[in-house]
Amino acid sequence: MSNDLDASLRAALRPVDPGEALTQKVLAAIEQDTAPQPGPPPTRQSGWRWASVALTVALLVGLGTAHQWQLRRQERGLEARRQLIEALQVTSAKLDVAYRVVNDEENTENGS
Amino acid sequence: MSQPSDTSEELLSRILAGEAPAFAEVVRLQQRSVYSLALRMLGDRQKAEDLAQEVFLQLHRNLATIESGRHLQFWLRKVTANRAIDRLRRESRVETLPLEAADGVADEGSDADPILRRRLRALVARLPPAPRAVVLLRYQEDLDPTDIARALNMSIHTVKSHLKRSLAALRRGIEAAAQDEVRSPT
Repeated sequence: MSNDLDASLRAALRPVDPGEALTQKVLAAIEQDTAPQPGPPPTRQSGWRWASVALTVALLVGLGTAHQWQLRRQERGLEARRQLIEALQVTSAKLDVAYRVVNDEENTENGS
Repeated sequence: MSQPSDTSEELLSRILAGEAPAFAEVVRLQQRSVYSLALRMLGDRQKAEDLAQEVFLQLHRNLATIESGRHLQFWLRKVTANRAIDRLRRESRVETLPLEAADGVADEGSDADPILRRRLRALVARLPPAPRAVVLLRYQEDLDPTDIARALNMSIHTVKSHLKRSLAALRRGIEAAAQDEVRSPT
């Protein structure tokens, strides 16, 4: 009975051929699976890239300009200070000369 | 093995070398086994074709892990049976399948009684997923209990227990059907 059942089961469960249609379906699915996947739309991505590059460049140029302007302002301030000191030194020297002249004249009058 | 033509090592090395026609040849050689297992597990031709397609796709993605022609055959049966069990559990179709679904497999020249064969397929389709997979791997794919245990990640004791109980259930089913035949007026 057991051997009969075994044999009957093997006969009943004999594999069946699904046919060439399944082969083609499988191969098409594999071809689709291995095909290179299309990337995201290039225009949108490159647009964002260009915008970020432009923004960075504008920022750098702005910072550079501001720095140059600050340097020139410092230089002008220093030059003005130097000129003022020079003018004060000249004035001081002239006053010193004038003082000596007046002082010398007074000494001469008192002596005579 | 019931498979008429095994995947040779030479064919496997051609596949690993990236030859597309070699893979197509493997699909042609192995689809009988994969499709029949899927069909008798799921009881639906469309679902069986979809499952077979998924299994071959997974094989194509994992070709590098295949060690030999024998390993390839074992891998296909293992993945098909486990995927079918998972699908049946997900779909909660644990109890029964429609008789006509299980019976939708055409008979290919056999000496056995066609009515008995049909009845046996219907009874196998009524088994719960795991015992059904065990019976199919044993009697359709001719795997021994040790290989079935490895394929389904079960102990050999569980495999033998499923076989014993399933065969007893099938025998009871056949006997009950025979008694019905005797009782029914002709």
